[in-house]
Amino acid sequence: MAVEEKVLTDREKELAKTFEATKDMLRKSDHQVGMVMDLNKCIGCQLCSMACKTLWTSFEGREYMWWNKVNTMPGKGSPKDWEKMGGGYKVLFEGKVMEPVQGKHPTRKEFGDLWKFNWNEVVNSKAGDVHLQAKNQEDDSVPDWSMNWDEDQGAGTYPNSFYFYLPRICNHCSYPACVDACPRNAIYKRETDGAVVIDQDRCKGYRFCLEACPYKVIYFNFVTDKSMKCIFCYPRLEQNVANACARQCTARVRWVGFVDKPESIIYKLVKVWKVALPLHSEFGTNPNVFYIPPLAPSRLDDSGKIDPTKPRIPRDYLRYLFGPEVDKSLEVMQTELDKVRKGGKSELMDILIAREWKKMFDIFDKDPAIMERKPAKAGIYTRPGIKE
Amino acid sequence: MANITCKKVSAATKDLLDCKNPLWQTEKELIETAATPLANQPSPYIKGVYSEDKIGAVKKLWMKSVHNGESIFFYFEWESPQANMKIQDINVFADGVALLMPLKEIDKTPITEMGTKDFPTTSWYWRPDFDDKPKNQVAHGLSTSLYTEKSSIAASSKWENGKWHVVMGRTLKANKPGEETVDLAPGGKIGIGFAVWEGSNGERGGVKAFSKEWRDLVIEA
Ligand code: SF4
Ligand code: SF4
Repeated sequence: MAVEEKVLTDREKELAKTFEATKDMLRKSDHQVGMVMDLNKCIGCQLCSMACKTLWTSFEGREYMWWNKVNTMPGKGSPKDWEKMGGGYKVLFEGKVMEPVQGKHPTRKEFGDLWKFNWNEVVNSKAGDVHLQAKNQEDDSVPDWSMNWDEDQGAGTYPNSFYFYLPRICNHCSYPACVDACPRNAIYKRETDGAVVIDQDRCKGYRFCLEACPYKVIYFNFVTDKSMKCIFCYPRLEQNVANACARQCTARVRWVGFVDKPESIIYKLVKVWKVALPLHSEFGTNPNVFYIPPLAPSRLDDSGKIDPTKPRIPRDYLRYLFGPEVDKSLEVMQTELDKVRKGGKSELMDILIAREWKKMFDIFDKDPAIMERKPAKAGIYTRPGIKE
Repeated sequence: MANITCKKVSAATKDLLDCKNPLWQTEKELIETAATPLANQPSPYIKGVYSEDKIGAVKKLWMKSVHNGESIFFYFEWESPQANMKIQDINVFADGVALLMPLKEIDKTPITEMGTKDFPTTSWYWRPDFDDKPKNQVAHGLSTSLYTEKSSIAASSKWENGKWHVVMGRTLKANKPGEETVDLAPGGKIGIGFAVWEGSNGERGGVKAFSKEWRDLVIEA
């Protein structure tokens, strides 16, 4: 650790101040967009992943990337075992002092490489002679991991086995470890919506951000030698169109909106009802993607009867993912659910059912079909805090 | 610090750009390099988790410079236990070497900060995965270096028996003097500094070994 006390020169003190001020500016935004995902409704169809892939990651070195992915939990996720790779912050003294935590780079195969298939061989040989096989693009090896490789494996034993899906994107954190990590000040929060983006002109592919992001959602582009990540579909937001993953979701899992505007549903779920929680908040980055934890059915006892005293998904596991607040969140949801079951009304359940699809998107409810599709304007945007 | 002399030789550019040319094995200059100070890291992450005594694996760099009246050449040699040729994986980093020159007055251009807003620097940056086309860069202080659109620097390189041999060359006359590059004139003098990256030590960007002080490069008339 670099904590041996060293006497700093005046110039070094001055530099430290400038560096801090720059990072403060790059972290600042006037508003913050966010997303809530209801894990009770996600069916793991990966339509969100495909929407993102077709829109953003289908070419030029991005083919192996999944800016949106859906993992099966409990599972190792993608990249494999990302929860154990470090990064983020150690939060000291009630959230006031943050100490960066050393992180590890995921490898391409831990993310899951791009697969090549032997289509030609299959088509050009006698039926049954050759079977379809995948190979890793990097070295022709047989794949042993990929996005959602441990699909539906879950945990527990029959009849009490369980699993649920966890869709993941960049959390567009309020205290993003990636912004702090970049020595080139190439990563910043957009002023208007707080989306965290990597300036592709400034990035030189040093990959400190991949080390520091505790969620391991940044990818390295081997073709352009730059790091890339989810951009929260900001070009769509600019035209009041919601993110592709959210609009494409078949199960009405995702709400999009401002985290800091009381009239937004995101605000209601996160700040008023307090049922939507960040994933691994102990990483210290203050995510703006929140999850409604799964209210799974109860366990069956030895005689095969429902035992309402024991949850199927061990509570400790949910606390591990979503912190101690998960108890309260599940309790509130159960209470509201029971109310409705008895014929009562519940604002929370009305929100969660999402009868009116468009209402899930706050002001971003415009149809992309009528969106302006002018070719992107070339232009240079200089984020305050970045010196020329 | 003693001057570095760039002798005038009569040899073809093509031959001087060859890192195997025996000329490069004649007396060379030893450049001692050190870890970049953590205090100069604009990244709180790097400051917090990296440690200065693990940065800067390469401590010694041998170099030689000559010109043939038309082009100028810089030869580098240093020990590197393995050749880190390209970025095959996310956790793999390539080796590299660079030279740095002030674009304006040397005494107003801090080498430890790659210049300032008003006193920028230019550098020639070689990496094995740049296919012997080193990049020209301009920096206006820490964290600001950018590749220029065009680079007229050429190179040849080889790694053998634990050593890198790299030669970079360019015409003495610059294409955009003052803005992106400098004119280097026979009979003239310019400040010069160096940096080396050991890929297997995770070195990239500002995490590197560098020469802490400018040396004067005297270009023979
Ligand atoms: S999830 Fe990672 S990449 Fe996204 S903002 Fe947070 S720290 Fe940065
Ligand atoms: S589209 Fe919706 S339901 Fe399907 S995997 Fe994505 S979040 Fe889950």
